[in-house]
Amino acid sequence: MLRRHMVGPLVAFFIIVTAVLPFSAGAEPKGKLIMFHAGSLSVPFEAMEKALEAKYPNLDLLREPSGSQKAARKIAELNKPCDIMASADYNVIDKLLIPDFADWNVRFATNQLVLCYTDKSRYSNDINADNWYQVLQRKGVSWGHSDPNLDPCGYRSLMALQLAEKYYKQPGLYDKLIANRLKENIRPKSVELISLLQTGNMDYAWEYLSVAVQHGLKYIALPDQINLGDYQHDDLYAQAVVKVTGKEPGTFMDMKGKSCTYGVTLIKNAPNREAAIAFLSYMLDPKGGLKVLKEMGQPPFIPCRVPTEEMKARLPGELKGLVEVRN
Amino acid sequence: MEKREPFFWLTISSSVVILAFIVLPLLDMVTTPSVSMLRETLKDRDVMRSIWLSIYASGAAALISFVFGTPLAYLLARTHFRGKRLIESVIDLPIVIPHPVVGIAILSVAGKNHWIGQILGDLGIRIMGSATGIITVLTFVGLPFYINTVKNGFEAISPRLENVSRSLGASLSSTFFRITFPLAWRSIIIGLIMCTARAISEFGAVVIVAYHPMIAPVLIYERFEAYGLKYSQPVAVWLVLVCLFLFLVLRVLTLRKAKES
Repeated sequence: MLRRHMVGPLVAFFIIVTAVLPFSAGAEPKGKLIMFHAGSLSVPFEAMEKALEAKYPNLDLLREPSGSQKAARKIAELNKPCDIMASADYNVIDKLLIPDFADWNVRFATNQLVLCYTDKSRYSNDINADNWYQVLQRKGVSWGHSDPNLDPCGYRSLMALQLAEKYYKQPGLYDKLIANRLKENIRPKSVELISLLQTGNMDYAWEYLSVAVQHGLKYIALPDQINLGDYQHDDLYAQAVVKVTGKEPGTFMDMKGKSCTYGVTLIKNAPNREAAIAFLSYMLDPKGGLKVLKEMGQPPFIPCRVPTEEMKARLPGELKGLVEVRN
Repeated sequence: MEKREPFFWLTISSSVVILAFIVLPLLDMVTTPSVSMLRETLKDRDVMRSIWLSIYASGAAALISFVFGTPLAYLLARTHFRGKRLIESVIDLPIVIPHPVVGIAILSVAGKNHWIGQILGDLGIRIMGSATGIITVLTFVGLPFYINTVKNGFEAISPRLENVSRSLGASLSSTFFRITFPLAWRSIIIGLIMCTARAISEFGAVVIVAYHPMIAPVLIYERFEAYGLKYSQPVAVWLVLVCLFLFLVLRVLTLRKAKES
């Protein structure tokens, strides 16, 4: 009986809603919003996606995580439609997308290398930011990093060790450290090392800060001169060079150190520019996306940065207030 | 010419489909790399080492299955007891569990956060990243194939033969080694082949327990990730060829044995 009473009002309600929707929708972002982003941003962007889609129910954010270079190539070489591109290395946007596919590049967050461990790791009570490189040389300590040939976190870990040799003024430190690291402790991807830590098969592992925070691991934070986290030290980082495999077996190429600084841009011929700007105004807001990034261990720039006044002038009006000029 | 029933053509055509399904992709893979590329790969130390490790570790897994699995297979074939179905299901578990889960399970027992891992550590045995670990994983996934095959073999032998032997005064062990074992020899060989074959193909569980040292499937994956298809295919071809050769030899040998007996 109750049901019959409710049908009438319900039908009326839906008729009104569907009649009114087309008028109200014009005011808010809707439709598909395509975003290519670095794999390491998946967790915070998933949280932002949920927040934004709750705010704009007619908006559907389609995220495609991949390597940052690959994401840029999809836009520049394959001409895939895309609205927003977020890179784990802000240089990728400068090099591959500006000026043909994008006008500006906002640096919005950083990441850095940390040494992860658990309270069951050997010498976990002794280790600190001053003696970590001595602990890693102790006999019986099992530590590892990901494969430098397959995972950027892998060669960055080796770069951090080279930078440590310089920072602590200990010639030969890098070789001594590597001598105490079993080849068997190298894994394809850094995330795989976490299960080895948690099961007690490994004592220490090199990870990004974001990974450490998102998995609730203990970690040693290293000085900025070592951790590849501050782009103002880029000249110093460039002194760290790691040899990785080239295009075919037996060939090699050199990777130079640089900071883990995230950049984001709006693609020039974005299919859904209006929604993209709505997302970016949320993402670059200290109370919105930047807060999420902070919680996920990817320290944001508050406010976000562009290098020149000229670039700031090219930003959409809605975003100008969220960005400062700072190199 | 005698007229064939439609059913005959049905069996023929489905057989052709099945064979094409298996052979075509493999044939394509085997014929894609150039001969010079194959020759070059053969000179690559890493490739040879990984294929050898694959064969060695799988063989070791089969041997362990033989030593520990044969008595269990015999027990399951000859006795009936409460909970036998449960034990049989437990033995089948490694077949159904997703491969990475097998790796994770073994690692979590082998770590020093577990008492088994602590004992192993005290004995100086390392599971993670070692040939020991690889063999452990391969035995885990290969055992069910060995036990099930050999169990069927024992079941096919009439218990009466054993009873006769026992009634003539032979002990249980001498009956097993002189009557049952020789008769079950062929199914034991087939069990070993099945177990080795299953072990050689394992990837998902091994890559979690040991990335280095690399078995052939892990090396193929690494080559694919780092250099692309072009450089992973020749390794795959050699692995396929070596396996095909080994299993062909074993089959021929066992068939001959079967004819003799």
